[in-house]
Amino acid sequence: MRPDDRKYTQTHEWVKADGDTMLFGITDFAVKELSNGNDSDLVYCDLPEPGRALVAGETFGEIESVKAVSDLNAPVSGEVLEVNTHIEEHLEVLSKDPWNAGWMVRVKPTTKSLEGLLDAAAYEKHVASQKH
Amino acid sequence: MITTWRAAPAFNMALDQALLESVGAAPTLRFYTWKPETLSLGYFQRVAEVPAAQKTRIVVRRITGGGAIHHANELTFSLAADQTHPLYDCAIGESYARIHRALAVALAEFGVTAELRGERPLASDRDDTGMCFHASTALDLVWNERKGVGSAQRRKHGRVLHHGSIKLDTTPLEGDIATLAATAPGLSAETLAPRVRAAFERELGLAFEASVPDFDERQRTKELAPHFVDPAFVKRR
Repeated sequence: MRPDDRKYTQTHEWVKADGDTMLFGITDFAVKELSNGNDSDLVYCDLPEPGRALVAGETFGEIESVKAVSDLNAPVSGEVLEVNTHIEEHLEVLSKDPWNAGWMVRVKPTTKSLEGLLDAAAYEKHVASQKH
Repeated sequence: MITTWRAAPAFNMALDQALLESVGAAPTLRFYTWKPETLSLGYFQRVAEVPAAQKTRIVVRRITGGGAIHHANELTFSLAADQTHPLYDCAIGESYARIHRALAVALAEFGVTAELRGERPLASDRDDTGMCFHASTALDLVWNERKGVGSAQRRKHGRVLHHGSIKLDTTPLEGDIATLAATAPGLSAETLAPRVRAAFERELGLAFEASVPDFDERQRTKELAPHFVDPAFVKRR
């Protein structure tokens, strides 16, 4: 079971409230899909600069594995306050700990509502419905 | 299915992005060639890591990942579809394997026995060229112990764009790779394309109709084209 202290998107990002801010990251499923269990398959990750305004459902960054470049989609709208730049040079963190050390950006959300996002149980079902 | 032979480099890249963004569209297979010949960088590649970029007059940056490709003596194709389409409704690696298995069927018609690389090094593997054909993964399509098809994907907003380059012959910037020159000398991209289309239809259960980009796709292509030759994008890394 994945952490139930956060919400999830259909495109395999997570968002977690942390005080007045929110943290974004990607799930273990997303990491496995990109890396096939091989850390070195993850090649690059581009994250936004602090101050950038993000829109829910729109791209906030990009990640490349040896197989594909994929967009990272913002679960909620808000302003980027802080970026986990450590990830950009240490992509293996995403495989080892996608839920904590693997956070990508800290955002000041425009709303605290997480309506429309999946809870852990719904995300589990979503992942199970993927044919792979 | 769209064919655009001897098209401008910026147009080639812009139309592929427009097809990627064409949400809900039926799978679109596109075949094309380049005029003039062009070097394309992978989305995240550093220009400094691709010595061939200094030897080529025209350089673009793709929206797909991977290494640089010298677009000469090749058939280039793209295959865009929703991620939920049966073609792409699978793990990323499996989508490569599906496309490559279908390509292998087409290539067999031209005397080549192509297979997925698997866990072995290739004679075409090189360090420090930054070229796609000189780096390989287990899912690459190979023959004669060399990489013969360059492949890369972009996934955006529920859509997938798969890029492929099939080499008809070597180029000065991509020596010692697998091509069709030995078994099918003089083969043209225009002759190979219909056989690849037929193999994709048969092996992947798809049906393509000859078409042209729709109005929105043409407009988007015009908007996007300058971006792909803009030094701010091409030399951004």
